[in-house]
Amino acid sequence: MAIGMRHSQRTQLWVSLGLYGYLILTLFVPLGVIALWAFYDPAVGWFPPDIVPRSFSLSAWGDVLSDRHILPSALLSFFVSTVVTLLTATLAFPTAWALAQFPFRLKRAVEVFVLAPMIVPGIVVAVSLGEIFFGLGLAGTVQGIILVQTVGTLPLMIRILTATLEGIPNELILAARTLGAPPRVAVMRIALPLAWPGFLAGGLLNFIASFEEFEKSFMVGAPQVQTLAVRLWSYLGGEILVLPTAAAVTFLLLVPMLIIFFIAERLMKEDVMAAGLGKL
Amino acid sequence: METTLSVRHLTKQFESTRALKGINLEVPAGRFVTLLGPSGCGKTTLLRAIAGITDPTAGEIWLAGRRIDALAPEKRNFGMVFQTYALFPHMNVEKNVAFGLEMRNVAKPEIAARVAAALELVGLDQHARRLPRQLSGGQQQRVALARAIVIEPDVLLFDEPLSNLDAKLRDSLREDLRTMQRKLGITSIYVTHDQSEAMALADEIVVMKDGEIVERGTPVDLYRRPRFRFTAEFLGLTNVIEADLSGSECRLPWGAVRKIENPAERASEGIAIRPEDIGIDAAKGEADGVVEQSMFLGASTHYWISAAGQELRVVTAGGQSDILATGQPVKLTLPPALHLLKTFEPAETPA
Repeated sequence: MAIGMRHSQRTQLWVSLGLYGYLILTLFVPLGVIALWAFYDPAVGWFPPDIVPRSFSLSAWGDVLSDRHILPSALLSFFVSTVVTLLTATLAFPTAWALAQFPFRLKRAVEVFVLAPMIVPGIVVAVSLGEIFFGLGLAGTVQGIILVQTVGTLPLMIRILTATLEGIPNELILAARTLGAPPRVAVMRIALPLAWPGFLAGGLLNFIASFEEFEKSFMVGAPQVQTLAVRLWSYLGGEILVLPTAAAVTFLLLVPMLIIFFIAERLMKEDVMAAGLGKL
Repeated sequence: METTLSVRHLTKQFESTRALKGINLEVPAGRFVTLLGPSGCGKTTLLRAIAGITDPTAGEIWLAGRRIDALAPEKRNFGMVFQTYALFPHMNVEKNVAFGLEMRNVAKPEIAARVAAALELVGLDQHARRLPRQLSGGQQQRVALARAIVIEPDVLLFDEPLSNLDAKLRDSLREDLRTMQRKLGITSIYVTHDQSEAMALADEIVVMKDGEIVERGTPVDLYRRPRFRFTAEFLGLTNVIEADLSGSECRLPWGAVRKIENPAERASEGIAIRPEDIGIDAAKGEADGVVEQSMFLGASTHYWISAAGQELRVVTAGGQSDILATGQPVKLTLPPALHLLKTFEPAETPA
């Protein structure tokens, strides 16, 4: 008994060590390096064998924050990502609903078809779509960027919503039907509200994907319309890499992400609480 | 005979199997009809076709002189209670019950009044604001029942509503269901595979097998005088005995001779005797058989008797006499007239 306990405790220790190690390696180390770059002093420089810069400064932040284009780009990105997320959810739901109703074998085939665009490299899609959008007169417009980003976010949203909707027992819809709800009303009153965890999860991923999307936004939008991600790329300096300013912009990009995840976490917790209190 | 539901030549073909083979069924107004049969007999398919959530391949469904088989389920005004309760998890009890009335555009104050009345009827008026997941299975099924009756349906449809509940709860909800249906007088069709449930609830039992109706009748008729061996064996325990027939009499393996109740039925599968219709006593002289095994169940005692090579099941009321020991020679007492059974032959070419 005691041996078994010690064994499970040791397993727990290793698992948690592994998870934390992974988290440090994939999240905190890169963030740390970026932080060092964002705050290093260009006048002194940072050369091997120094592991951390010899002195720090805010010069990169000054460069970035003094750029009058940053704030409009950030606001534009917020607007675009919000619209893209809403549009994607609206367009994905009917498809996902239909997919969730399909018989099993047919569904897999259609799903592969829906997910296929995710396999094609973004730059390939961006170049060809860029041309089409130019022909349509959508190049260099915000509408163009919204549409081209939605093309990219749809497959994932459809996949997530389909999975969520498949989890809703068909009998709930049938019960609503026998109680007098036409098919559309049954879906709107029963399936739609029950699918909200899927909307939340898919919406978050879509918002982030849209916020940091570069290739398609660049091809369709630039140079007239530049989202924050596109502007970040321009800070990389074209021919030479301007790491400090890029690092500063990375931090700026990170802030909205953190806010969104914080809100999402609160939403989910509140839902659980509401369920417990009978408020949902 | 106002809202008579009538099913005519109803057929349902799934990919390779025929789930319903030309069902004809009349349900008079106010009647509680149970569709009883083993799983896969088509009873649930029939119920779903009546509800409109499964499309029949052929045939007609009529309600009070109106053909309804082409109507969408939301236009039929049937209340349905599902095995899984099918309550809307994101709505509280009140909202669940109000759903059907909202769909009918009933005025708000009237909805509130009718929902309250329905919840009181099922004894859940204290739980109106709870979410389904905060209720027990039995309470959830009561909500589902309230939701189905509040719309004042022409017909109530039950799809094995008690199967997911534990035995005790099942019994008490079964009694409530019966009282309520009698009180409201709503025409009801109830699907179950549980024969005791069917007998307890139904005015009339329809026995089904392989997509066909075997026979129908009141619980007493079907239990006492089944036409087919399938019915006799599906409804409770029965002894089916091969016997020599001569005219309107039969001779049982251990020599007893009895009259036959229904000598007109010639294609015989054997004689049916319910275990509780056989009396046994310790034989003082000549014995008919021997006790092979006994099982004391409190309210009754079950015996396995071997009589001239024939295995017999006998049930005696508990406390009637001492338990007979294994190996005890016994004398059997039979009712004066016995019942002949037919073999159920599925129709070769269904209509």
